[in-house]
Amino acid sequence: MAGFLSAHGYDPGPTQRPLLAGAISGVLATVPAIALLHAFGSLRVEAGILRLPESLTVAAGCLVMAVAGATYARLFGRAANQVRGGWLFGMAFGFALWAAGAVLVLPLVSGGQVPAGEAAIGVFLSLVAWGAALGAIHPFVHRPLHERLDSGSHRDALGPGAATRKWDGPRGPRS
Amino acid sequence: MLKVVAFRKAIFAGAAGALAWDVAARALALSGVPVFDLVRQLGTLAFPNGSAALWWPAGVVAHLAVGAGWALFYAYFFWARLRWPPALQGLAFAALPALLAIFLMVPQLQLMHLGQDVVQVDWRSFVVALEPPILATIVLGHALFGLTVGAIYTRPVGYRVGSPPGSPYAPRRRRRMAQTTRRQADGAFMFATGIECSYPTVDSGRWRRDEMASMRHYELWQLDFELARELGVTHLRYGPPLHLTYEGPGRYRWDLIDEAMAELEALGPEPMLDLCHFGVPSWLGNFQNPDVGEALAEYATVFARRYPWVRFYTPVNEMYVCARMSALDGVWNEQLCDETAFITASFNLAAASVAMTDALLAQRPDAIFVNSESSEFYQPCCPDPAIRESADIENERRFLPLDLLYAHEVSERMLATLTGCGRVEEYRRFLAREVPRRTILGVDYYEWNEKLVDQDGRKRALGELFGWYVIASQYWQRYRRPMMHTETNRIDASDAPRWLWRQWHNVQLLRGAGVPLVGFTWYSLTDQIDWGSALVEARGAVDPVGLFDLNRDPRAVGLAYMHLIEMHRDQPEYRHCRALKELLD
Repeated sequence: MAGFLSAHGYDPGPTQRPLLAGAISGVLATVPAIALLHAFGSLRVEAGILRLPESLTVAAGCLVMAVAGATYARLFGRAANQVRGGWLFGMAFGFALWAAGAVLVLPLVSGGQVPAGEAAIGVFLSLVAWGAALGAIHPFVHRPLHERLDSGSHRDALGPGAATRKWDGPRGPRS
Repeated sequence: MLKVVAFRKAIFAGAAGALAWDVAARALALSGVPVFDLVRQLGTLAFPNGSAALWWPAGVVAHLAVGAGWALFYAYFFWARLRWPPALQGLAFAALPALLAIFLMVPQLQLMHLGQDVVQVDWRSFVVALEPPILATIVLGHALFGLTVGAIYTRPVGYRVGSPPGSPYAPRRRRRMAQTTRRQADGAFMFATGIECSYPTVDSGRWRRDEMASMRHYELWQLDFELARELGVTHLRYGPPLHLTYEGPGRYRWDLIDEAMAELEALGPEPMLDLCHFGVPSWLGNFQNPDVGEALAEYATVFARRYPWVRFYTPVNEMYVCARMSALDGVWNEQLCDETAFITASFNLAAASVAMTDALLAQRPDAIFVNSESSEFYQPCCPDPAIRESADIENERRFLPLDLLYAHEVSERMLATLTGCGRVEEYRRFLAREVPRRTILGVDYYEWNEKLVDQDGRKRALGELFGWYVIASQYWQRYRRPMMHTETNRIDASDAPRWLWRQWHNVQLLRGAGVPLVGFTWYSLTDQIDWGSALVEARGAVDPVGLFDLNRDPRAVGLAYMHLIEMHRDQPEYRHCRALKELLD
């Protein structure tokens, strides 16, 4: 996916800070997710399965979601900045995270124990809602974090010397 | 942005697909076939002990929402990736949700329906033993969904010629911005960009492509102008939508563009008004219509009266490309494929350009005309006389519209062709015309403009073989007019900064050789849509060629162009461009 996207010019632009913006968005998007987990009783169940206090479960969740948010922003690149479609990309990412995390990884780390019933519904909805919120807020979180056009860190790399080499996205010029 | 997506169409397609699945499932259930009842599965999640009156509508709504979500996903990531009929594309896509349903969602739905909080699972939990009829209905349901979505979700960009958007331009918003005023043309070298604005018809004149709509310029025009100013460009090639503003003889919709024009007048950048860009309003038909020139002259007259402050005009953009695509390659507008039709289109386009020029000069005698044309060159692959002749014909044909506009004699072979088409009298009238002094020959250049005529006589893109310097020199030698590099870009976004600087060095070299070059343009401000298929296929595919992407986030080339402008604009030889100053005086 990443290769396909960057081949079409979707690498983050020279003024963007996708990892930082993604991490912040990932944490902010946990607000509706935690509310859903709490409403469905999933937080209590997950904390029980992981044998952690609820507060520590939430803290660990926020940390994981910061990393997941940064991954989302880097993976989707410029597409993640789209206001119209961001919620859908985020929701798809949240769904994938649910499939990978809650369905596949959680049973492995918990010795096969997984939430069921309403708790399972809560886990599913919370991750989809987290993804939708992540995608929806990311463009707005990212915009004020952009570097300025006239003083950005890549400005000099795109000067006359750029005539001799390709631009390699966030990694800068390629010789 | 991955694709330009028609949201409403995709949501409708997804909901219709889900509905088709539900109808089929009900019909099968009524006929006694055991089915996987997704509506019940979803509805009873919300109302586990509720009656059908509760869970059924909830299940239907949930299923329609899931269908709409998948259809949007299809529209962004899958649509038009395969060269298959649309319904089959949808069918192929449906394999993804079908597999996810069988191996992930159905087992998880069963877990969610359990009356306990925690269960013990193992790897066998992912392989639910579904009865063959149930499995078959899941597959069938997804197939129906995919076929329906595929059949409905087509052509996300453009619109039927008879159903144009009413008032596409968004109202002007009061924004807090750095207060600037439009910098008047003062004889400094022009650093330009443009808003891509092509609007030809395709599909035998039934479907209107409208690049400004696809790029959301009508919604974001104010931001687009602001971004252009932020980059530091001095001029903006801008083509208001002729097909929307010119409703018929004496009928205009200036209200559509008044606010945009007012903002350009007040704040800049200085616009170069592009009055006809690859299309005409549907009531004028196409470029085979000999009345196009007169009608467009009327439009130009009224335009210049309404916006008397505009000084730079491109009456007709890229006449050769327009005539070729419309009448020789058969892809736009009249969609013809013969030499006579090409000659007719070329004459009508040149006549329109001349008539508009005269009309504009009558309103604004000091108007400056930037006649933008695509630079082309054909290289024979081998000494085969037939191949060489084919290349020669193409190299003569590329000049025809400009020869008419600039009163330059055509080659003997072209003259014979014109004679055969009965156009010699008209040609002589063009030759007798005095070309206005304030004209700039705009020479556009892309990596596909140089072509090789191969052994089979096919024309293949050569890439940058000789380069803009050599090709533009041929145009300079022929017309001896002040020149401007009026379009370039690069489809490979990672190579765009390199291409920009290389084009710029071509400009510097040509200036150094004494050619009066007055400007340079990266085209366009934002990414464009569907140029990979020359606008023929309404796929909504984004070409990442802009200084900004369609989210209006800068691309690397945008930053590079800003750097280039800052580096050069105050250098004496660019601050005072003698050739442009002579045109302005």
